[in-house]
This record gives sequence, structure tokens and C-alpha cells, in this order.
Amino acid sequence: MDMANAFPSGLISPHKLERLWLLARIEFKLRYYENKLGLFWALLKPVMDLIIYYVVFQVILRQNVPNFASYLFIGLIIWNFFVESTSGTIQILSTKKYLYEYSNMNKMEIYVSTLMSNTIGLFFNFVMFLIFYNFFENKSMGPSLENFWILPIFANLFILSLGLSLILSNIYILAKDINQIWQVAVSFLFFLSPIFYKLSTFLDHLPGFDYGNPMAGIIINARRVMMQHLPPDMSLLEWNFFYAIAILMLGFLLLDKFGSKAAEKL
Amino acid sequence: MQTPIAIRAENISKTFHISEDSHNTVKHRLFNLFNPPRRRQLEAVKPMSFEIGKGECIGLIGRNGCGKSTLVKLLAGVYPATTGKIETNGTTLLLQLGIGMSHELTARENIYVSSSVLGLRVKEIDAIFESIVEFAELREFVDTKIKYFSSGMAARLGFSIAVNAGADIMFLDEIFAVGDLKFQEKAEAVLESSWIRGRTVIMVSHTMSTIEKYCHRTAYLSQGNLVFLGDTTEAIRLYLRDNEQLAPPGEGSLSGPPAMFARR
Repeated sequence: MDMANAFPSGLISPHKLERLWLLARIEFKLRYYENKLGLFWALLKPVMDLIIYYVVFQVILRQNVPNFASYLFIGLIIWNFFVESTSGTIQILSTKKYLYEYSNMNKMEIYVSTLMSNTIGLFFNFVMFLIFYNFFENKSMGPSLENFWILPIFANLFILSLGLSLILSNIYILAKDINQIWQVAVSFLFFLSPIFYKLSTFLDHLPGFDYGNPMAGIIINARRVMMQHLPPDMSLLEWNFFYAIAILMLGFLLLDKFGSKAAEKL
Repeated sequence: MQTPIAIRAENISKTFHISEDSHNTVKHRLFNLFNPPRRRQLEAVKPMSFEIGKGECIGLIGRNGCGKSTLVKLLAGVYPATTGKIETNGTTLLLQLGIGMSHELTARENIYVSSSVLGLRVKEIDAIFESIVEFAELREFVDTKIKYFSSGMAARLGFSIAVNAGADIMFLDEIFAVGDLKFQEKAEAVLESSWIRGRTVIMVSHTMSTIEKYCHRTAYLSQGNLVFLGDTTEAIRLYLRDNEQLAPPGEGSLSGPPAMFARR
């Protein structure tokens, strides 16, 4: 596969978009409709997480973050998307082999469609968040125009996750235990992200981590635009985009270098 | 007569590096930095060059493990070639037992996914959906997952999608091996019909009668070498002679990659 094939340059044609959407829908259906609870699972997971962290950090540790349930909620749905799109796709070249082993299908489409499927899940969760924050949260500030900033922030998250997904799944071709290594890295990152800490506590004790950890910036900015009627922290947003694009480029490079070996190695 | 070229292969070869110990974890790589893995090289396809014209039907014969399937995968772009260059003009489709379909998906979903990957729009797939199901004789099992299918049923579905969705260049790797007699007749009827005209077909088979009947030219491979490419009758003669010379009477298979044993 040459470089031109690895880049998603041709992803924009209506035919390809149609195919991506078809693959994403089937992927989504496979994930949620195979079990008894169906789509309910997609919604149940963040709610369960939410209850646990709420009890620990608000009831037991008394952190006193205003609107803590919503604060957690948005952090968790962003985090879950990140984990599903990275940990969940490490073996993608193996599980989706049937898509590329009989035709010269562009492997990028497999990645993009899987992340699109995760985006559908995130969308449902996000709608739940909006309903919860705007109608059930006592001290909610209500919707504002700043909310639309969530779109570039999500684009940032998508690019970052796609890049890491490419990197991890291509390393997997050569080293299978990247799976375990990434599990450890993810739980490390989880505790180094301001998901359930009060932001000031996070910034005081982990100075620089709002820039060092790309997920921290995304979560901080998402809360600013969704809950605080503030525009995103621009320098943080720019830095995060730079980070995500650099990781995506590295991902393209690895796909180009190792991706063609996937058919015979996996 | 100058026909347009469908596939041009220049000096292509494929060598597999088979490591004898599992050297595919980070841990193992770290602990064995100075102890490189013992590797065996397997030259599955030795350097060869050829051209295949558009609309030709080429047979590919040789004994088990001679490199037929590897060559087909190289040409279809599934494996990268170790050396050389392959040029293909048009969409390609590799039809082989058990590949190209997700066992987790139903027949319906597989039809949509595969046809879409082959370049059809959803509307076009809607239009041919019925004929795919009809041809594969799987009407009752449209919404059943492939993993519950018999190998014959899965092969029928794959062939039916290929026939109806089609690609410019088709690689048919032992597709007649598992279908029942009735399906084989249908499949052969397809090869005789106008469907095949204009398409380039590379057919791997152990069934000499099929090769003889449909292939304009045939390539005979032996131990990774392209021994002969040309007149089908001559290729079959070489292949049969090879079988007689090397194998004990009655059976002629070396241990090789699992392949389909079609003896009729």
C-alpha cells in the first residue's frame, strides 16, 4: 500500500460516506443489540460509573464541586469514548480482517467507521447529559451559545482517538501485548485526568498536566463550554489540536509501514 | 492483437519469514534484544513476471503448497510483494473459501457490506439483493449469522455476491470445491454465461475439467516457480506429469497450507 492509499483523501466521496455510515451502523448494532439490554447498555454504563464516582467523591470525600453529577457525567462520556476508540480498537485489523482480505479496501475506512459507530454512542450519551444538566441539575446555568464549541472539541477528541487507534493497532501486528500495556497506560491516564477531581485540586497537584495529558485539556474545555458559559481555553485547545494531529500523522505513518503486513501476520 | 492489460506483474516474489519461537510480544522482544529470533524463510512465490490481458480467463494449477493461493493474494493486493511490482487495472475481488465475510454478521448484512466494499451504492445493492439471495438459495437464512452456516452455504453466499456485485478482476480460489452438485452446475453455468465476458478471471482449481473448459491460458506452478504459462492443454499435461512423478499412485498431496481437496 502506498502513502496515497493510507491517507483518507478519498473519504469524502458520497459513495464512501455511504459505505462508512453502513459499516458504522452495523458495528453499532453488533455492539449493542447482541445483548439483552440492547441500546440501554450504552446509556447504563456511564450512569453506573456516575453513581459510583458520585458516592465516592461527593458523598464520602466531600469535594464540593458545584453540579458534581454533571461535572462527572461529561467527563465520563468523553473518557468512555476515548477508551472505546483506543483500547477497543487495538485488535481491529484482526477482527475486521474480513473487510480487507478479499478486496483492496482502504484500511482507513475501517478505522473511521468504527470511530463513527462510537460517535453514535457518544451522541446518545451527550443527549442524556444535555437533558440531565438542563432539566434536572439544581444549579444548572442552562444552555448557551458557547455550547457550540463542543463541536471542535469533539473533532479534537476524534482525531486524537483515531491517531492512537492507528498507532496501537499497528503495533499490535508486531507485538500482541500492546493490549495489556495500553490497559495499564489507560488506567494511569484516567487518574491523571480531571474526571472526578476538582479542577483546582488537579491543577495544584499536577501542574502542567492540563497540557501534558491531551485528555485533560479536552475534558476541561468541554466543561467550560457546556457548564460554565465560558469559551474554551484557546491556548489549551490549540495545543490539544496540535497534539492530536501529530499523533494522527504518526498513526498514518505506522499504518503505511505496517498495515500492509496485517493480512499475513494476524 | 493488442488487448489492454488487466494485471502486469514484474519480477514479483513473496518470502514469508516464519519465526520459530513466538517473538511477537513486547516482553519477549525486550528480553531477547541480543538474541534474534530463529527464522525460517519460506519462498512461497519465486520471482516471476507476466501480463494478463483484460477479459482473459487464466487457470492456475499446481500441487498443494506450490504457491497458487499466495500468488493470488499477491495479485489481489492482500499481501504486499517482497520484490517486484504489480499493476492492476480495475477493481479486484478475491473469492476464497471462508474469507470476505464476517461470521458475526447475518447474510443480509454481509451482502450489504461486501457489495459496498466492491463499490456498489446502497440503492444498487437493494436492486440486486433478491437475485443474490435467490442465486445462493438462502432465502430462509437471510437473517441468520454466517457462523451458523455450513461451509457450503457460506461459499454459495460468497460466490453469489461475487456474481451479482462483481469486480473487474476476479480471483476464484477453489470456489467449486464445497458447493453441492446442483450449486456447482449453477456456478459453471455462470462461467459459461455472458457474465464472464469483459471480466478478467484468474481461477485456481484442482478440477482439470473446469480449467480445460474455461481457461484461455493456464499457469502451472511448481514449488513457487512459474514453470509454464500458456496453452491450457500443455499446462495440464505438465501438472499431471508432475503428479505422477512425485506422488505415490493414487494420492498426490504434500503437506502444505490447508487447501481444498477437490477431486471429482
